[in-house]
Order: sequence, then C-alpha cells, then structure tokens
Amino acid sequence: MSVVLADRLQFAFTVMFHYLFPITTMGLAPFVAFYTLKAQRGDADAAKAAAFWTKIFAVNFAVGVVTGIPMEFQFGTNWARFSAASGSVIGQPLAMEGIYAFFLESIFLGVLLYGKDRVAPALHGVSGVCVWLGSWLSGFFITATDAWMQHPVGYAVGADGRIELTSLFAVLTSPFAWWQYVHVLAGAMVAGGFVVAGIGAYYVLSRREDALARRFVQSGTIVALVFSMLAIFPTGDRNSANVTQYQPVKLAAMEGLFASTNGAPLAIIGMPDVHARTILDPVFVPDILSFLAYGNFNANVKGLNAYATELWPPVELTYYAYHVMVGLGTIFVSIAGVAVLWMWRKRLFEARWVLWLLLLAMPFPYIANEAGWVTTEVGRQPWIIYGLMKTAHAASPTVVTGETIFTLLGFAGMYFMLGVLFLYLTLREIGLGPSASALAHGAELPA
Amino acid sequence: MSVAAFIVIAFMLATYVVLDGYDLGVAAIVPFVARSDREREGAMRAIGPFWNGNEVWLIAAGGALFALFPQAYASAFSGFYLPLIIVLWLLMGRGIAMELRGHFPSEIWHTFWDTCFAISSALLILLFGVALGNLLHGLPLDPHGYFVGTFARLLNPYALVVGVFAVAALGLHGAVFLVMRTNGPLTERARALAVRLWYIVLLWYALASVLSVVEHGVRLSWISAIPLLTLVTFVWLLVEIRRGGERRAFAASSLWLLSLMLQAAGTLFPYLLPSLTPSIPGISIYDAAPSPAALASALTVSIVGLIAVVIYGTLVTRHLAGKLSVGE
Ligand code: HDD
Ligand code: HEM
Ligand code: HEM
Repeated sequence: MSVVLADRLQFAFTVMFHYLFPITTMGLAPFVAFYTLKAQRGDADAAKAAAFWTKIFAVNFAVGVVTGIPMEFQFGTNWARFSAASGSVIGQPLAMEGIYAFFLESIFLGVLLYGKDRVAPALHGVSGVCVWLGSWLSGFFITATDAWMQHPVGYAVGADGRIELTSLFAVLTSPFAWWQYVHVLAGAMVAGGFVVAGIGAYYVLSRREDALARRFVQSGTIVALVFSMLAIFPTGDRNSANVTQYQPVKLAAMEGLFASTNGAPLAIIGMPDVHARTILDPVFVPDILSFLAYGNFNANVKGLNAYATELWPPVELTYYAYHVMVGLGTIFVSIAGVAVLWMWRKRLFEARWVLWLLLLAMPFPYIANEAGWVTTEVGRQPWIIYGLMKTAHAASPTVVTGETIFTLLGFAGMYFMLGVLFLYLTLREIGLGPSASALAHGAELPA
Repeated sequence: MSVAAFIVIAFMLATYVVLDGYDLGVAAIVPFVARSDREREGAMRAIGPFWNGNEVWLIAAGGALFALFPQAYASAFSGFYLPLIIVLWLLMGRGIAMELRGHFPSEIWHTFWDTCFAISSALLILLFGVALGNLLHGLPLDPHGYFVGTFARLLNPYALVVGVFAVAALGLHGAVFLVMRTNGPLTERARALAVRLWYIVLLWYALASVLSVVEHGVRLSWISAIPLLTLVTFVWLLVEIRRGGERRAFAASSLWLLSLMLQAAGTLFPYLLPSLTPSIPGISIYDAAPSPAALASALTVSIVGLIAVVIYGTLVTRHLAGKLSVGE
C-alpha cells in the first residue's frame, strides 16, 4: 500500500468518526439552549428536559473533542507537504476555529455543566446560548476550510510554489463556503430533530415521561421537517449549482453521466459501469439534470468522457454516496411530513406506526450526512486543493506506510472502544430518562 | 512581525502550561493524595469545569502555529509522527476518563477511569517535557528542515531529565491548586505533598543543571542560569505554602512556571526548531513564516481573538472559582 493511500484511509476513517459527534452537538445545541432558557423562567418540565439534553450533549461533546484533536494534528503529521504549501491559508480558519469557537464552547460548557447552583441564573441561561454559538461557529470555520480546498479563493502562488493568503475576507465570505455551511447546518439540524423526536417517540411508546415526551416529539418533528426541506432547497440545490460551475467532473461522477448530453436525464437509480462507461438498469427522469444544473431543460451537461481519466474521481463511490444522501433526504421529508400531518390532525400520539417510524428513523440522518461528505471529498479527488495540488503530492515526506498503518490500527481500536462506551452510556441515559436526569443533576454529573 | 508571531505562540504555550498544567498536575498526584472514591471525585470536581477550556490552549496554539509558521508546523508534526500520535492517544484517554467517570455509579468503574486518568496525564507531562528538552537540545534535521532521527533518539538523557523535571514541577503546581480549591483532609495531604515536591524539584533542578553543563557546556545551561524571577517566585512559593497563603501560592507557582517558559522561549529564539548539526541551520521564525500580508492577517485575528478569550475567560472563571468541600 502506498503511504498516500494509508494516509487517506486514516484521514477518512478518523474524520468520518469525528463527524458523527459534531452532527449531534450542532443539532442538539439549539434544543439545549432553548430548554435551559425556558427552565430559567420557571418551567419545571423544561428544567428536566434541559438537564437531560445537556447530559446527552456533554457525552457527545466529550467524544467530539477527543476525536477532533487528532484531526487538527493530522494535517501536520500526515499531510506535511500540503500543510507547508498551503498553511498560510488553511491554517487561518483553523486557528480561528480554536480561538473563536472552541474556547467559547468549552468555557461556557463548563458553566452549563457545573454552574447551575454556583452562578447567577442569567449567566447559566446565557451559557447555553454561548455553547450553541460556539458549536455553530466551529462548524462554520471548519466548513470554510474545507470549502477553500474545494474552491480556492483569496490566494496567490508565490515564486517558491507556496500558496499565500491574500484575503482572509475572501476565504471567509466565499459563497461556496456559505452555501456549504448552511447545508451542513441543515444536515445537523435534521439529525438533531430526528434524535429529539425519536427519543420522544420512544418514551411515548413506552408510556413514560408523559407531557415532556410529547413535547419532544412535537418540537423534534417540526425541526426535522423544516430543515429536511431546507437541506433540499435552497441549500442542496445551491451546492449542486456550485459543483456544476466549479467542479464539473465531480458533477458528472455524482450523476453517473458519461456522455455529454443536451437535456441530460437524471438517473434516480442505476449502477454505473466504469469500464463500459455506462449506467446499468437506470431509471431516468428526462431533462431534469440539465434543469437542476443550469435551470434550463435543454442545457448541455458535460459527461465524464469529456475529461481525461486521470482527472476522474472514483466514480462508483461518488455516485452511490450522492444517491444515498439525496434518496434519504427525500425520505426524511416524507417521514417528518407524515408526522407533522398527523400532529396537525391531532392523531399523532394514537398512531403508533408513525411513532415507530420516528424511532427507527434516528440513525438515517447520520448516514445521509456521512454520505454527503463522501460525495464531497471523494468527488474532489484526485485534487487535495481543487486545481492547485494533487492528493498524491500532499503527504509527509518522512512518514512511511508502516507508521501510518500502525497508527490507523491504533485509532481503529480506540475508536471502537470509544464507540461502544458512547453507545452504552447514551442508551443508559435515555433509559434513565429526563426525570432521573433532573434528580441526579449535580450528584452524578459531572465527575 | 515574525517576532510578534513568535511571541503569540510562546504566550499561548506558556498559558497552556500554566492552565492545563494544574489540571494535568492534579491528575498526576491524585493517587498520592486521595484515599477514597469520594476524595478522588472531589479532586476531579476541582478541575472539572476548567480542564476542557484549558486544553483548548494547546489546540489553539497548534492552529496558530499552523497559520503563523506553516513550515515549522509541517516539519515538527510530521517529524515527531509517532510521539505526537502517542500524545494524541494520551489526550484522548485522559479526556474520556474525565468525562465518562461520572456517568456510572460504580466504584470499579470509577477506579478504572481514575487510574487511566492519572497514568495518561503523568505520561503526557513526561512527553511534553521530553519534547521541550529536545527542542532546547537541538534536533537532527535534513537540509529541507525535516526531522531525520528516530524515536529512540528523542529519548536522550537530557530530554528525559527535562521530562521528569516537568512531571515534578507540574505535580507541585497541581498540588498548590488543590490546596487552593478544596477543603478537607485531601487538602492537608496536598499541602504536605506540595512541600515535599518543592524540595524534589529543587534537587532535580540542581541535577539538571550539572548534566546540561557536563553534556553541552554552557550553551544549554538555561536551567542552571536561574534568572532572578524564577528564583524569587520559587522561594516565594515555599513561603506561601508554609504560611497558608493559598491563592498567593498558586500565583507564585504560576509565575514561576511562566518564568521557566520565558527562559525556554528565550533560549530557542529566533529558532522554532533548532538544528543539532552545525552545518544545517534550524528552522527560524524568518524561514517558517508565510508572506507578510498573510502573516499580518493571521496575527490580527489571533491577537484580537485572544484578547477576547482572556477577558471573558477570566470573568466567567471567577464565577466558578471558590472552595469545594471534599468529604472523606
Ligand atoms: C441530513 C443530511 C443531508 C441531506 C438530507 C442532504 N444533504 Fe447534501 N450534504 C450533506 C448532508 C445532507 C453534508 C454531509 O452535510 C454535505 C457534505 C459537505 C457539505 O457541504 O454538506 C453534503 C453535500 C452535498 C453536496 C456536495 C457539495 C460539494 O461537493 O461541495 C451536494 C451537491 C448536496 N449535498 C446536495 C444535496 C441535495 C440535492 C439534497 C437533496 C435531497 C441533499 N444534499 C440532502
Ligand atoms: C471540514 C473540514 C475538512 C477538511 C479540511 C478535510 C480535508 C480532507 C483531507 C486533507 C483529506 C485527505 C486527502 C484526500 O484524500 O483528499 C480528506 C479526505 C477525506 N475526507 Fe475530508 N475534510 C474535511 C471534512 C470531512 C468530513 C466532515 C468528512 C466526513 C464525515 C470527510 C470525509 C473525507 C473522506 C471520506 C476522505 C477520503 C477521500 C479519499 O481519499 O478518496 N471530510 N479530507
Ligand atoms: C478535518 C476536519 C476537522 C478538524 C481538524 C476538526 C478539529 C476539531 C477539534 C480539534 C475539536 C476539539 C475542540 C475542543 O477541544 O473543544 C473539534 C470539535 C468539534 N468539531 Fe471538529 N474537526 C474537523 C471536522 C469537523 C467538521 C466537518 C465539523 C462540522 C461541520 C466539525 C465541528 C466540530 C464541533 C461542533 C466540535 C465541538 C465538539 C463537538 O461538538 O463534538 N468538525 N474538531
């Protein structure tokens, strides 16, 4: 195995694992802030909810932190040539993430967890909002970093080949970054909504926590519905438009389109066969791809055949990941839509099948989010910085394959244990429920 | 401007040592001062609200190094590949132990995580000390500034001495913090340990000085050439521990650590990664910085952000400060 492949596997594995936790913290943070503020106004049920969601949040946050630190180090350890060449750009949003977002989140989480009986109620309430702000800000900076690698702006290439920042403003205000960011947020909120609704559904189904359980189901489904619609339009749509404009090869791979076509059809299902350069057993909707990409049913969409194969990303993976995300996105709208409809007809809590649906839907936003990143990152290949630097030239010169494999195995082992512990503790908290959290608050948690 | 950037990085790392230093130190001495599950829990609660924010100083310093000196970040991080990944694993072990301990009411569970916490923290301090020792000692670099030595090479006697020194020094700092923050039998044991550690640190200081003079002549005698501030704060520390001035003792030990970091930074300057081989220059702050425009922008956002962090961090932390009573 080449060292670049080992580095890529390690990066992909660690970042995909890390990302599971920020999804939840970014998605739950508004709920935590909301219930904490409500509790301040003397709402006893909200106080229980705040204690409960803060606990779930804290476990997620802890695992998010310990898996996030390796991410930041890996740019230097595994991708030294990439870092040396582009650090003046990449390093800035990353440094800002630490200084502007992580401090905010960590310091105020300390207040939220330990300050309930020690600080003024107002400060305790505000700390929930600061944690929320911190988590959304870190999401922004990291997405801006990634967006720059997808579509570099605000830089100049020096004589020595180093990529130098010329405008931080351009990097942070790039429309590519902002559309990507709001889409990421939508993805996280879909997950947060389904988690709150799903756990609420579990309590309703097991006849526990009465009124509070219903509140969870109601607020969760509404959030899930709103944000799964936002994930499709405008954010998903704008992301597709950006990809079309700046990364046409990726678009072709996402859609499994080989021959350039006027009035290109959208393949809803089908299996791309890269050797034969065709899609097997496809179900097409005519002209739609042209419309989605260019807003015109007749526009010409370039296919993969128009590009040299060295510039192709791995087509199958990009294609399937994209279709998983989009497919699930449609399903989320339907599930949340049905639940909201039944809620509106005031039948939701009798319709056990809808509650079951909500309960079982919980893992799928995670799959959609991960699939979206696979589309983005695998589809970017062979570039590490689009159009500027190839992934093959980015790895550390002094690190050998064996070392990376060793550390990859180490991460795999640790993350496996971490995953088991995380699931165990989270399920245990859910089993204990909000009433128990409120009682135990301060006694068991934290440490 | 490169000098300003150097100061920013040095400031962030020194703050990291002082702040995360006390919670690492507390973790490392808990097995020696806490006798029961309740007491260990008390020690954890003492650092609970702060440790995560403290650790962010390290993460943010990493980010700032990346932005301000990309070349140094790339060489150092890839050169120290294995040691750094081990640091990561230890940081993970420690973070998980801290967070997960309280989520399950079982003594076995607690004992397991407490042990994990103490060992990973002590090893972390040791590794940080070894890293600092190596930086002061100089590194085997190739002409492109990439590290060419082996892991074993990093464990040279000088670096190990600095590593052990770091463990004792932060243990002392942690003990002083526990004395300030808790009330109970635990506090008394921490106070006694602080005094003992003070003498150990003093002896180790002497040993380190002799060793560095023997091994490297005067160039590396920063430990023996104790500037006045270090000496004064160190003596003040003992006086305050003896006298029971708990907050002042903590102030003294913080200042003392700062003065040590100051000396380390002074020794390194203007290098970030000094070279061991005379024919190859190390990586200095002038080689590693990006273009002036990029540097100016990174400096501005870092300094503005750091000022904000220091202000709200101090304000918020003050609300959580104060004594915790820890039963037996
Ligand atoms: C619950 C999560 C979720 C859902 C339902 C969707 N997405 Fe998504 N998508 C993501 C979560 C996500 C993501 C994981 O958050 C990504 C990865 C990078 C990014 O910007 O967001 C992403 C990336 C991503 C990209 C790649 C951007 C790039 O390569 O730079 C496109 C084109 C879309 N999405 C489009 C869509 C469309 C048309 C959807 C309609 C159903 C959709 N997404 C639903
Ligand atoms: C937002 C910050 C991110 C940055 C700066 C970033 C950067 C990178 C880098 C440097 C690589 C390795 C080089 C390469 O193979 O292209 C990579 C690969 C990869 N990343 Fe990201 N990434 C980010 C976020 C994510 C997230 C959140 C995920 C998924 C949850 C993800 C999934 C992947 C995958 C699957 C690969 C492997 C692609 C391949 O090698 O074919 N990335 N990314
Ligand atoms: C290569 C990519 C990434 C790097 C280098 C990285 C780095 C980090 C680091 C160092 C932490 C710990 C912060 C602390 O101590 O408080 C962290 C946590 C976090 N990261 Fe990442 N991260 C990456 C990908 C992502 C992505 C893609 C997102 C979201 C879009 C994200 C969102 C967060 C959030 C919200 C936290 C706070 C802790 C949590 O909520 O779990 N990260 N990350």
